[in-house]
Amino acid sequence: MRADIANLKYVFEPKSIAIVGASDNPEKLGNVILKNLVDGGYEGGIYPVNPKYPELLGKKCYADLKSISGKVDLAIFAIPAPLVPDVAEECGKKGVKAIVVLSAGFGESGNVELEEKLKSVVLKYGIALIGPNCLGVMNPESRVDSIFFPFYKFGRPGVGDISIITQSGAVGSCIADLAAYYKVGFAKFVSYGNGATINEVDLLEYLGADAKTKQIMLYLEGTKDGKGLLSALKKVNPKKPIIVLKAGKGIVAGAAAMSHTGNLAGNYTAYQAAFRQSKAIEVDSVVELFYVANMFSQVRPTGNRVGIITDGGGLGVLTADAVEKEGLDVAKMSDIGRQRLREMLPARIPIANPLDVIADSGVDIYEKAINAMIEDENVDSIVVIILFQAPAVDSRIVDVLVRASDKKKKPILVVGVGGEYTRQNRKTLDSYGIPTYGSPETAIRALKKFTEYSLFLKDKK
Amino acid sequence: MARKPICAIPEFCVLENYKIAVLPYGLAATPDEAAKLASKIGYPVALKLISPDVTHKTDVGGVKIGIKDETRLRHAYEDILEGAREYRVHGILVQKMARKGVELIIGGKKDSQFGHMIVLGLGGVYVEVFKDVSARICPITKEDAQEMVMELRSHPLLTGVRGMKPVNLDKLYSLLLTVSKMMVKEDMKELDLNPVIFDELGFDIVDVRFVR
Repeated sequence: MRADIANLKYVFEPKSIAIVGASDNPEKLGNVILKNLVDGGYEGGIYPVNPKYPELLGKKCYADLKSISGKVDLAIFAIPAPLVPDVAEECGKKGVKAIVVLSAGFGESGNVELEEKLKSVVLKYGIALIGPNCLGVMNPESRVDSIFFPFYKFGRPGVGDISIITQSGAVGSCIADLAAYYKVGFAKFVSYGNGATINEVDLLEYLGADAKTKQIMLYLEGTKDGKGLLSALKKVNPKKPIIVLKAGKGIVAGAAAMSHTGNLAGNYTAYQAAFRQSKAIEVDSVVELFYVANMFSQVRPTGNRVGIITDGGGLGVLTADAVEKEGLDVAKMSDIGRQRLREMLPARIPIANPLDVIADSGVDIYEKAINAMIEDENVDSIVVIILFQAPAVDSRIVDVLVRASDKKKKPILVVGVGGEYTRQNRKTLDSYGIPTYGSPETAIRALKKFTEYSLFLKDKK
Repeated sequence: MARKPICAIPEFCVLENYKIAVLPYGLAATPDEAAKLASKIGYPVALKLISPDVTHKTDVGGVKIGIKDETRLRHAYEDILEGAREYRVHGILVQKMARKGVELIIGGKKDSQFGHMIVLGLGGVYVEVFKDVSARICPITKEDAQEMVMELRSHPLLTGVRGMKPVNLDKLYSLLLTVSKMMVKEDMKELDLNPVIFDELGFDIVDVRFVR
């Protein structure tokens, strides 16, 4: 293994961090990062580096790296680009294992030479480099955090099992902020920017082997190593689902394509082919990353057949439409299942799928219906539509759903379309690991992707 | 010792090296040669202009199809030459008429990041309109080939719909696998087998173009 890749662990779990370009000006990155590390509760050594200050935020400030007497595992660079290669050299001499270079002004703005210089320094010393031109890393468990956005503007996700690899810092920050808002926890977050030495392929491999990571979200604009990407996706995706958002999909074919094929198959066609070949889960938007990720709290379905329970006929029909549109099947309940339901449910409720339990039905009728669907061998996954607006439905429905989900027999997801009260209840359900959706269409799209992935794993066994 | 015949159309010969059968053909320099070839291949045949100056043969009347006998063949031959007066003519291709069936395009491309990829699409005029294609990075497996077929929106045309028999899918899968191998081995930049006409028995490859 390349020495710098072997040092990646110091990016995520350093025992000490130097902030090069630390500052007392709250508008400077070097101030925000230092403050975030101190306030965020990072427990390792924190070494601000800047010759201008004797101390910063109560920490002794050093003139340069070599003045630091202790070991430095990770250095975060918040200094102008032209200074970066020399300071990287100092890091090498000091024995720093990893650096995060936030500074922009390298290859992305035409300064290819400067980036090459930085590359040669880090490769010479075997330093793991994240960046340049990035947001860097966040590890909620070790409290490492190089994100230069203040806490009050940008929520920090808690500890969880999803890791994020993002080429764009801006998109990455939106993903992380949304995750904090949705209360989705992270294992590791890395925004790798230009990926001068360590790129998405290396990070996929690394997080593929990371015990704390169970799922990976990948935001990608382009790769320099398509073959490597395909092989990393193929290797990691069966162990840990990779949900990928690819930007830049316009079919811009080769400028001088001679053939029909050349004109039909643009560059995105190749990405799409690689995602399909590896069965990575491709989504079309930032929020859809979460729609799909949330499904993974549920057990995997073993087939395409969807059971639908609703207390509003129209939403049941909309959901059945979505099921058909996405290429899933509206389950035909078994005879025993139908009989069971007939015996349990009041005569005014017709037994069918979608099963309309009618708006004046209480929570206990939902529970009976859900249990019957769980028992029915012709149903693979269960969509529960709840009109939280209806008088007979109250928040006891949360208990019913948690009990059903806890049986871990079939995936259960909830659709609740509505305003404040509905959203409150959805939030509660989400926090118990029951995925909820604001529309039948988004729910079924996520279920489709979850089902496809689950069946791929099933076939692989 | 049997000598390998000299290759009339180099693109066809590359395919033949991979045991990909092309519709029987021959290159004629005179009407008499064309007539001889046609009776050997068997009517009906098609005649096609081979000229380095003409990419779109139909635009200059360079393609005559469904020729049933020698009289018609000789007329067609003259017509093609008439239309090609201003161009260099390397010969006239005499080719067996393709079977009737589902027109597909099977192609390839070398992507700057992922390398060689293979593309399957519904062929003919539809390919431009519906852009119904599926693709994989080479090399592919049989499973990839199966998925490429199922990913086409128009896959029922191949797998059978409304009493139409399915095309010979096994031959389609193995053709895709061979083309994938050929793309890589020949390091092709772009490839078109277009159209490839499939029915329940097999397929005919009508035309081949590639760029190395």
